[in-house]
Amino acid sequence: MKWFKLIQFSFSRLQQPVSAAPLATFRMLFGLMMFAGTLRFWLNGWIDDLYVKPHFYFSYMGFEWVHPLGGTGMHVLFIIIAVASLLVAAGLWYRISIITFFLSFTYVELIDATNYLNHYYFISLIGFLLIWLPAGGFFSLDTYFNPKLRITKVPLWMIGIIRLQIGLVYFFAGLAKLNTDWMLHAIPMKIWLPAKSHLPIIGQFMYTNWIAYLFSWFGAGYDLLIAFFLINRKTRPMAYLVVLGFHIATAVFFPSIGMFPYVMMVSSLIFFGSATHLNILQLLSRSRTYSFTLMPKLNTSFLKWMLGIYFLIQLVVPLRFLLYPGHLFWYEEGYRFSWRVMLMEKSGNTFFYVKEPSTGKTYEVDNSKFLTPLQDKMMSTQPDLILRYAHYLATVYQQRGLIKPAVYADCYVALNGERSRPFVDTTVNLAAQSLSWKHYNWVLPYKSNEK
Amino acid sequence: MISKKIRLSGSVIILSMAVFIACSKKSGSVDSKPTENGFDKGAMLVNYADNLIIPAYTTLQQQLGQLETAVNTFISSPTAANQQGLKPIFKNAYLQFEHVSVDQLGPAEKVLFTNFFNTFPTDNAVIDGNISRGTYDLTLNSSINQQGFPALDYVLFGSNALQNLNGNRAANTKKYILDVLAHMKALNTDVLDKWKNSYRAEFTGNTKSDAGSPIAFMINQFAFEMDQLKGPRIGWPYGKQSGGVQYPQNTEGYSAGISVALAVENLTSLKSMFNGNGSGKGMSDYLVALNKQQLSTDVIKQFDVTINSLKTIPDPLSTALINNKAQIDAAYREVQILLTLIKTDVASATGVRITYQDTDGD
Repeated sequence: MKWFKLIQFSFSRLQQPVSAAPLATFRMLFGLMMFAGTLRFWLNGWIDDLYVKPHFYFSYMGFEWVHPLGGTGMHVLFIIIAVASLLVAAGLWYRISIITFFLSFTYVELIDATNYLNHYYFISLIGFLLIWLPAGGFFSLDTYFNPKLRITKVPLWMIGIIRLQIGLVYFFAGLAKLNTDWMLHAIPMKIWLPAKSHLPIIGQFMYTNWIAYLFSWFGAGYDLLIAFFLINRKTRPMAYLVVLGFHIATAVFFPSIGMFPYVMMVSSLIFFGSATHLNILQLLSRSRTYSFTLMPKLNTSFLKWMLGIYFLIQLVVPLRFLLYPGHLFWYEEGYRFSWRVMLMEKSGNTFFYVKEPSTGKTYEVDNSKFLTPLQDKMMSTQPDLILRYAHYLATVYQQRGLIKPAVYADCYVALNGERSRPFVDTTVNLAAQSLSWKHYNWVLPYKSNEK
Repeated sequence: MISKKIRLSGSVIILSMAVFIACSKKSGSVDSKPTENGFDKGAMLVNYADNLIIPAYTTLQQQLGQLETAVNTFISSPTAANQQGLKPIFKNAYLQFEHVSVDQLGPAEKVLFTNFFNTFPTDNAVIDGNISRGTYDLTLNSSINQQGFPALDYVLFGSNALQNLNGNRAANTKKYILDVLAHMKALNTDVLDKWKNSYRAEFTGNTKSDAGSPIAFMINQFAFEMDQLKGPRIGWPYGKQSGGVQYPQNTEGYSAGISVALAVENLTSLKSMFNGNGSGKGMSDYLVALNKQQLSTDVIKQFDVTINSLKTIPDPLSTALINNKAQIDAAYREVQILLTLIKTDVASATGVRITYQDTDGD
């Protein structure tokens, strides 16, 4: 009975009206950050490098209909993302802007699986959640032009779901680190940190073991616990300090992770209470204080069902790896979309051979003719991408006149600082293997006694 | 009560940003040289610059000068005997190029040095056209397959070389040869000067390993040269890519018949780049400092095995493609093993990404 009451209490607490200010600041910061990120992507020339120049794109299963739109098309698409980001930040035509942002950003991410990054996935998810939240009803141009749209309060759960989403990211990232390599051997930190010995002051410690353990254990502890400390009002300011410290450190140590630290630093502000957010907004415009209560009118039963299913998926997807046999890092079955960030050091190289059974002729493939170096690198360690490429090769060589071409791969992968070993069964014709969510039997086992 | 909290977190944000900015600024300087574990990456880079890279360009500069003298002698009296006399000098210069082939970083990368010096096979039809017209622009990126050592090889030693240098195309042919040589000399002088004047400091002062850093660049270049050895130098002419159909005329140094010598020199110089010329200040020693002693030993061993295996193939490679298949197959297997060691094991151990391009990752 006690538990029941507690749950009942929590549910009623979630309905409690709170200021809409956190949603508004979150909307603005998110929009501005997405604009900056899009601009950076463009200026780095990555639109051309990743979405125009490649000859072949690694589709996601079920999203084979997503294609790059050509040089002009891709640039227009990025302009759409940039403009939508600014409109979201300004809160102008909010619902349309956020839907546009979500669809265009996600479309780009679905073009090529070799570009998968956890924080892109995170941005897509946040974009999706924001569609359903009335984040444009407070401190926005929409309400400036049409005060009827104004709201001042939202039920607590509307801010709670963003906090929950961030909490899930951290918690699953922490869970993923609880493996023997990370915790007991401090790998991959032991591999990555010596490369950072150029840093001033701390650089000299980078070859030592204790620093690798410190980074590993602190990283795991941080990910597992930070959301709880952020949720608790008493520990929140201190916890946010740690968020800043941690992510600035990751940005300094691992500059190649790009926007990720900034995304997390900015997003975590949502954990602060409405008072803090109101103060931030007042810095921008002093005149606005609302003493009245305006709640959004919503079809809440639909939203509750939808969000319930959404979060169920968010819980299940990162755990789906449990259904697969074998070493997760080796097979990577159930690896993506699971908040495994900078978790392992894995590299490989693959030689492909196309054989024509009727003539016995073998054609070795020059991967650089079909893939960018980045695609080649990503493909070489991920079975589903190897298979997709093998299928592509089969069609290409068939067009070149080969009859029923068979595709074989000779692949070597080094995982977490160990020596490279054969990854793919060289006797299996990959052209005849189908893409599926089933366990891939043609990937050689990590250990000989493994299934 | 709220503003207190805000002020606190606000000042915290500003403070940490300040620390962050201060730190990132400092990281550009070289005053801290960590020598923990007895290894100094800065000293390794100094060794590369002063004992390997700059001397290699300097020697190439001298060799190009000698080649120019010898070429002038030959084209002033283009006889078969003089052609034979030119060949060893041409070979020496080409062999010396193999020592800088891997150094395509910094100033060399900016001017696409290796591409202009050694894109093979050449487009002989276009070269012939250039010579007939007498007009061409060798500075264009699209002209990389009309110049460099492969073009000299064709124009000086190709089957029509003597005929062209003595017939009615003689004047234009001679001019083309000298123009190609002049462009090579100019490129090499430019790169060597930049190394001496400014890039050396930039190179030795950057001990990072992320994309674009000298260490990452070098390991990426090792992998690239291995890919070249496996593909264009041996595998593609041998017919690996084409179901056994061979392309002997696509070998490196085809007309002079020195392909195997060039491949051996390339790999030998790659080995001395890997072990820092045995000075104790090379990538192989860096691997030891990273507790990868076994890998370091294995890679050096595989270098030796592969070099010896290549040496069993007789020049010219164009005929060996038919007569010495067993040796080529054996060498090809060793090249593939070495390639995997460098591209996968060494890259992984040093935390360097083999991408030749810069993007975000996680």
